Amino acid sequence: MKLRDVVIGANASIYYKLNFKKIKGVYYPRVEQDVLAAIAHAQQNGLTVTPKGGGSGLSGACTGGNDERIMISTLQMKEILSVSKDQGYIDVQPGITPDKINEFLTPMGLRFFVAPSSRDVATVGGVLSTDGGGNDTWINGTMRDNTIRVKMILYDGRSLTVDSKGVKSNDLGLEENLNKKGMTIHDVANSHGTLGFITELRLLIRPTVKEALMGGLTEFPDCNVLGKALQNMIEKKIKINYGEAITEAHPDVREDLKPPLHVIEFPVELESEVREIVDFRRLDSKELARMKDVRVKLPKRNPKVGIQVALFEDYGFYDTSLIKLQDGIDTINALLIEHGMTPFAKYGHGPSKWYSGDNSPTYGLILHSREIKPEGKQSQDVYDTVLAIVDICDELKVTPKPEHKWPFSDEVKKKRLEEIRAVIGRGFNPFLLSPECNDILGSMV
Amino acid sequence: MSYDKCVRCGSCLQFCPMFDATGEEQFSPRGKAYLLQVMDQIEDDKELAKEFRRLLFECSLCGRCEETCSSGVDLLKVWHEQRAKAIETHPEEFAYLEPLKDALANVKNIYGLAAEDRAIYWLDELEDDIPGLADRVYEKGKTTENIIFLGCLMSFRGSQIDVLRSLFQTLEKLEIDYLVMGAEENCCGHPLYLMGNEKGAQELREHNKKVIKAAGAKRVISCCPGCLIQLREHHNLEGVETLHHTQFFDRLLDETKKHDQKEEFSYHDPCELHRILKIKTEPRSLIRKMGIEFKEMDLSCCGGGGLLRMTDPNLSDKIIQLRVAREGVKNTTVITACPSCREQLLGQDLKTKDIVELLSETLDGGAN
Repeated sequence: MKLRDVVIGANASIYYKLNFKKIKGVYYPRVEQDVLAAIAHAQQNGLTVTPKGGGSGLSGACTGGNDERIMISTLQMKEILSVSKDQGYIDVQPGITPDKINEFLTPMGLRFFVAPSSRDVATVGGVLSTDGGGNDTWINGTMRDNTIRVKMILYDGRSLTVDSKGVKSNDLGLEENLNKKGMTIHDVANSHGTLGFITELRLLIRPTVKEALMGGLTEFPDCNVLGKALQNMIEKKIKINYGEAITEAHPDVREDLKPPLHVIEFPVELESEVREIVDFRRLDSKELARMKDVRVKLPKRNPKVGIQVALFEDYGFYDTSLIKLQDGIDTINALLIEHGMTPFAKYGHGPSKWYSGDNSPTYGLILHSREIKPEGKQSQDVYDTVLAIVDICDELKVTPKPEHKWPFSDEVKKKRLEEIRAVIGRGFNPFLLSPECNDILGSMV
Repeated sequence: MSYDKCVRCGSCLQFCPMFDATGEEQFSPRGKAYLLQVMDQIEDDKELAKEFRRLLFECSLCGRCEETCSSGVDLLKVWHEQRAKAIETHPEEFAYLEPLKDALANVKNIYGLAAEDRAIYWLDELEDDIPGLADRVYEKGKTTENIIFLGCLMSFRGSQIDVLRSLFQTLEKLEIDYLVMGAEENCCGHPLYLMGNEKGAQELREHNKKVIKAAGAKRVISCCPGCLIQLREHHNLEGVETLHHTQFFDRLLDETKKHDQKEEFSYHDPCELHRILKIKTEPRSLIRKMGIEFKEMDLSCCGGGGLLRMTDPNLSDKIIQLRVAREGVKNTTVITACPSCREQLLGQDLKTKDIVELLSETLDGGAN
């Protein structure tokens, strides 16, 4: 074992104490041929394959669990392959970040409109694998809405091209089988590396439209009022370009903010419509930039005493649960406290959009959560808390979303992935769909 | 432990020159912090532990990771502490650093040359150009308002002679009261500090402190950001101002003649100067006062810091080569303000000038 085999476990989730001896090879391919060689090695030696992007996700999927496996990082596959301004797409390798794509596109007056707060490190391959989004998902959609097609290598070395209509492959039998199953880009989205290794993505790009925007800040007496305001915005389909709520934040990191609050940016001409819903205070560009900066840094800042952890990344509040946002948060916080956790901060995108396991869109507030790391807790205790949160989300009709729809608790998605894996093989990241998944994750906390 | 605060978000990856050059996570700040977080799982493996100790020295200590970190991990402190621990517990793995340590213990410079030769090489070279320069070398009993701390590189390396000439000529032209510490100068202790050897560094500093005090200097001026870190942060020079030469000249000169610019310039800002010492304004202000147009280079490392040239010269070379290729500076003259960065740039056959060389040219006859 070398340090490179250990350090591949570095990721932002609470699942980082890997059994390193089970990692039988680490690869940093640059081109498809390198990927094929790595996968062939795995297949010949009966090892599973775990793809890894930037490691900024919180689901633990990029750890590969406890299988004897190889790990393939996309961090060296970060090239822009081609761009078509006329047809509105960019072809990229999977390891490039949204920030790097936009650094390239900005001088052309173009943009790729997926902006997770980790866009400086999250790779587009990883963002598709979690179907991530950002503070503008409400108007620009999630990663699947912005991905035209992907090329993938399967465990047996065959390749696929998948788009919104179906699958193409040099293996016509495989193509036919997968098309019979109705496989599309929806299946690749949020598949957490369980299908294959993405080698190339064609992403939607659009011109940056210069529009006069207005920034605003609304402080709310409680989160139920905030939730109702968000529901109102959703029902009226108001074009909110940027919407971020902070429902609570520890005094060490909230600066002078007074949550619950909602920071928005929207076209100037919609001011009266927005005012009908919220009595916001206008923010000048400097104030707005500061708010955005505070928000981006919240997932990383630590309290003066202790360390923050993300037990459970996302809560998807929608419909009834959104209107009763405060009640839901109180219930979740009570559960956290009961399990010895200290709530640290909750903040997130709203109005926003996500997809359920059956690929139907849902609209609401995606609330991220952070807790102060408990001292002396056994890892299984911590993981039991996570499982308890999943249960309570079910009761509250909140989508449990540790990283944008958690496949581990989404039975519909899991079933669908199994259907496809029955055709293409089960060599990629099998731990996520195994009955032992919970035990394995619990052991890595 | 501070490294426990790392949330492993990975934001540091995009800025780390080691990760950029190697493409593998173990070289990145997140990778190293992660290894510390899981050390209890791997420390029994002697080979892994040894590999980790070596890895700690594959870093230029440029500080960009700490600057980027929103989790408040004082990464530079972590790297210093871990380096010290590595050398203390496994000195046999760092035998290649022994000659440097011996040289600093015996002759108080990094080259192992005679201590009294600190003011010999450049004096021989420059005495004809700058009459009376020998009198500017400190001896017991001499006092001055400004004392010049050259550092080892500038005292001994022929590649630095143009900078020295310009420095002294500028000081003379501006009629500054100054002395050079000369043979009475010890190494500032920075190399030992980078190894985590605080005790050895302190011994060197004590002597410097006595000389600066005896000379009655109100300020110490150095062209070397590494030396300046030591002088400012670790020498405890009470009542003595410590300045980078660009700060000194920028404060002194409200305006200058305009430089007769005939070439394209880029500016490489030394990491230790802008990121660690936070000296960002004065170098640029001075360049602008001379009316020089220049292109800002990326605020990243040249690969010359953190003892990397000794611990992994190939990696050090790769870092600067990547930058040269990426930033298109082959046809420009790279302005900088650090002798160590200068060495890195010269090593790639780049044309380079210290800011004081430009100032000297300007005072000599730049356009009005």
